Amino acid sequence: MMELRKSLAGRIALTAVATVILLFLALPIVVILVTSFSNNAFASFPPEAWTLNWYKALFADGSKWPAALSLSALVAAMSTVFSLIIGVTAATALVRSELPLRSAVFALVLGPLVIPQIVTALGLFLLFEPAAMLGSPIAIALGHTVLASPIAVLILIATLRGIDERLEDAAASMGAGRLTIARKITFPLAAPGMIAAAIFSFITSFDEFYISQFLSSVDTVTLPVQVYNSLTFEIDPSVTAVSAILIAFAILALGLVALVRWIGSGRQDSLLSVENTVGVANPGGEAV
Amino acid sequence: MAEFGIAAPSVKVAGNKPATATGKALSVVALRKTYGDVVAVDEASMEIAAGEFVTFLGSSGSGKTTTLMMIAGFCEPDSGTITVGGRDVTRLAPQKRNLGFVFQQYLLFPHMTVQENVAFPLTLRGVPKDEIRRRVGETLEIAGLSGFGGRKPRELSGGQQQRVALCRALVYRPPVILMDEPLGALDKKLRDQLQVEIKTIQQELGLTVIYVTHDQEEALVMSDRIAVMRNGLIEQFDTPRELFERPKTPFVADFLGAANFLPGRIDKHDGEHTLVRLTQSGTLLKARRHDLPSGTEVKVAVQPGRLRACATDDGFCTGTVEMATYVGTLVRAGVRIDGGDGPLVRLEVPAGRGPVAGERVGITADADDVNLFPTDEKAG
Amino acid sequence: MAATLTAGAPARPRKLLASRRTRVGILYALPVVVYLLLLFVYPIFSTLLLSLKDADGSFTLHWYADALTGVNLSVLFTTLRISAETAVLSLVFGFVLAQAITRLRPILAGLAMLVVVVPHFVSALVRTYGWIIMLGDKGLVNESLTAMSVPGAPFQLLYNELGVVIGTTSMMLPYTVLLLYGVMRGVDRRLLAAASSMGAGKVTIFRRIYLPLVAPGLASAGLLSFILSLGYYITPALMGGPNQTMIATLINQQVTKENQWNGAAAQGVILLVLTLAGLLLVKAVSSLGASRKKRSAT
Repeated sequence: MMELRKSLAGRIALTAVATVILLFLALPIVVILVTSFSNNAFASFPPEAWTLNWYKALFADGSKWPAALSLSALVAAMSTVFSLIIGVTAATALVRSELPLRSAVFALVLGPLVIPQIVTALGLFLLFEPAAMLGSPIAIALGHTVLASPIAVLILIATLRGIDERLEDAAASMGAGRLTIARKITFPLAAPGMIAAAIFSFITSFDEFYISQFLSSVDTVTLPVQVYNSLTFEIDPSVTAVSAILIAFAILALGLVALVRWIGSGRQDSLLSVENTVGVANPGGEAV
Repeated sequence: MAEFGIAAPSVKVAGNKPATATGKALSVVALRKTYGDVVAVDEASMEIAAGEFVTFLGSSGSGKTTTLMMIAGFCEPDSGTITVGGRDVTRLAPQKRNLGFVFQQYLLFPHMTVQENVAFPLTLRGVPKDEIRRRVGETLEIAGLSGFGGRKPRELSGGQQQRVALCRALVYRPPVILMDEPLGALDKKLRDQLQVEIKTIQQELGLTVIYVTHDQEEALVMSDRIAVMRNGLIEQFDTPRELFERPKTPFVADFLGAANFLPGRIDKHDGEHTLVRLTQSGTLLKARRHDLPSGTEVKVAVQPGRLRACATDDGFCTGTVEMATYVGTLVRAGVRIDGGDGPLVRLEVPAGRGPVAGERVGITADADDVNLFPTDEKAG
Repeated sequence: MAATLTAGAPARPRKLLASRRTRVGILYALPVVVYLLLLFVYPIFSTLLLSLKDADGSFTLHWYADALTGVNLSVLFTTLRISAETAVLSLVFGFVLAQAITRLRPILAGLAMLVVVVPHFVSALVRTYGWIIMLGDKGLVNESLTAMSVPGAPFQLLYNELGVVIGTTSMMLPYTVLLLYGVMRGVDRRLLAAASSMGAGKVTIFRRIYLPLVAPGLASAGLLSFILSLGYYITPALMGGPNQTMIATLINQQVTKENQWNGAAAQGVILLVLTLAGLLLVKAVSSLGASRKKRSAT
């Protein structure tokens, strides 16, 4: 952008505006992290005194949080397994074979990502309600997989495209059989992509709200639904602590993806470079 | 593991000829491959002896790469057979053929070190660890890569990567190593250097190599024999000298020697020579003996380097030098032959004795350097 | 994955070989196709059917008539209005931020991108809650404004349209920044240099060269934010008042509180149709952009 470089004043103005916008993005998160340690958990900032009470309250007797957390973890784990199975097979079909109606299959995969989630959730509700499966963790996991599997497919498509198919030919020319090639060449090269796909599937399911809300019952409530309920119906100050834990969890997962991606790419860019970060945010980007 | 033909781990990497070094290493009979209506390879047949360096030479679309891919097993022939060391491999998967392959794009495994890459084929064959270490070390040493074993492929230059790829293909001593334009991605200087290195290693180890290239010079420098391919057909399969001096078709004369072509008609046969009357100048030219009957319309093919400028009354024809370009040790001259509007005849003569533009010259050639092709054959 | 290699193995001519690769492809595509047909396409079709069915099972359009009249119609308009406001704001902020990131020094740009990407992965529910804490009467924003003695402070920033738009814009912003950053990286900087070599000033270059080059990307980004906002539910429900009810909220209410599935289905179909129309527009815009790029490349 040398040609468009503005004066020093212009640069300062741009930086100032950018900083304000960045604060706009970051502050809601920072505020939760800080407030979760505040003695007044509701709508007061900055805190007057510090406490760990909200975290302790999470695991107090009668707390609904442990059940919600374990349900969400169970559902997310199932959803991750389903998504990986669908993702590996679909990416193989779309990248490494001759597939009739390839673009139709691809459009089908993109569908759940662009259709409003409330519509998908409503459809799933109409499917599972007559089957008396509302509140079943399996039904919720199956529903989440509709959203998570397309993400896994896109990530794995990008991964497979990044692996030169002729490396497999090269291994075959030296005498490696199909299984050996899959085990020694393709799998190690695809591993970073598979880890990323697993993490993204897990997060997608773990944070999912619409489908969970439609498919949950009184006894089976996922963590996001419980958070929503606490914010609307039953005032529960522990929600701040839960939110803080969810933020920490997201940052951890994101860091993990960044690390895997960075190691997988041969540590070429800096770990914190714009390109690496964009790649983390958009891991299937090259596939679309 | 015996089917891989390396059951004898005592084979030394340097000095010894491989166990299969006697007789035919590979034969191809009536190999044919079509893509829809396009005939990619048309009834190609050849026999390659152990220890031979054979090149498939041709421009893109000539069928040279398709032939190589069929030998490797990456592409299946419609008909024909491929035999390696007496074993019919035509319908075998690539991994069961026990061949070596060096790709243009190197295709080193990016997640393995140089050492692991070269060891990979040996690991597949269940070679003991000590033996693997020893053989990989020896092979890397031959290629001048000692000390690079711990590096990852991306930390190497293109030339080094291709040396590793070469090591990986020869470390398990396959009876035949196939190379698909292995130097195509390198710059000219490195290419020249690696041509010599590959040739040296091939001769020292007695390797049988099939090499694909579109570069005539590369083919001439490296090969024991060259198969010149065109439109899916093998035009001629011969030593570089034969191809250069005794081309069987106008295409080969043009492709390898960039020959001049002059139309003419066979006048008569005179002992060891055939006399041709050139259409343009009406003068007589002495060629080596040819079996075509008198009166046959022919194309006379002589390479620029085999023509000489001489006094106007000494040559087989006369003309005027229209251009003369000094190119280092040579002068390239273009001569307009008297008696018509044919293309310029190109000469390459040593600098210092070269003609100058505007000069009147005679042109002469040894009868032995003159090739004749009947005109009704396919055009060159 | 190794299937391609063994394509050469069976003793068959090429035609059958190709069909073998095709068979492998179909086999591997089956899980995703069957799964999404059963759990995504079929449910949407049954939603469509339900929206056209009367209580006694006969065909009717009255659910659509309901959805497009009275309160429901005003909810639809509110949805469109809030989505448009969100799209415009996130496009403007996104443009400025993406522009800044392309110009900042690499380390700062990396940090800025990190601040964009992290919220993108934090649940919308949690971020909305963050805003509720911040925008309350005693929240960070109002406390700061009061401390600075801004007249009129504290302001009512929650449970009105301002609150909703602040929330939805912050949800949408990471998307637009990522999209626009990609668009800006795609601009061939040599074109700008060429323009300045012909004597064009900074403003002219920006207006006549740069903007036209990024315009299709801007349009797609704006349209995408609009489409994605249409289905928003969490933020408007938690940060808005009764006048900020959006269509997704209405669908949710009809299903969970009123057991009015047919009406919900009709509204879902309307939302779906709006989305698909928007996507078609995005596609048209991006093919326009692609042809422009092609022309500039030749």
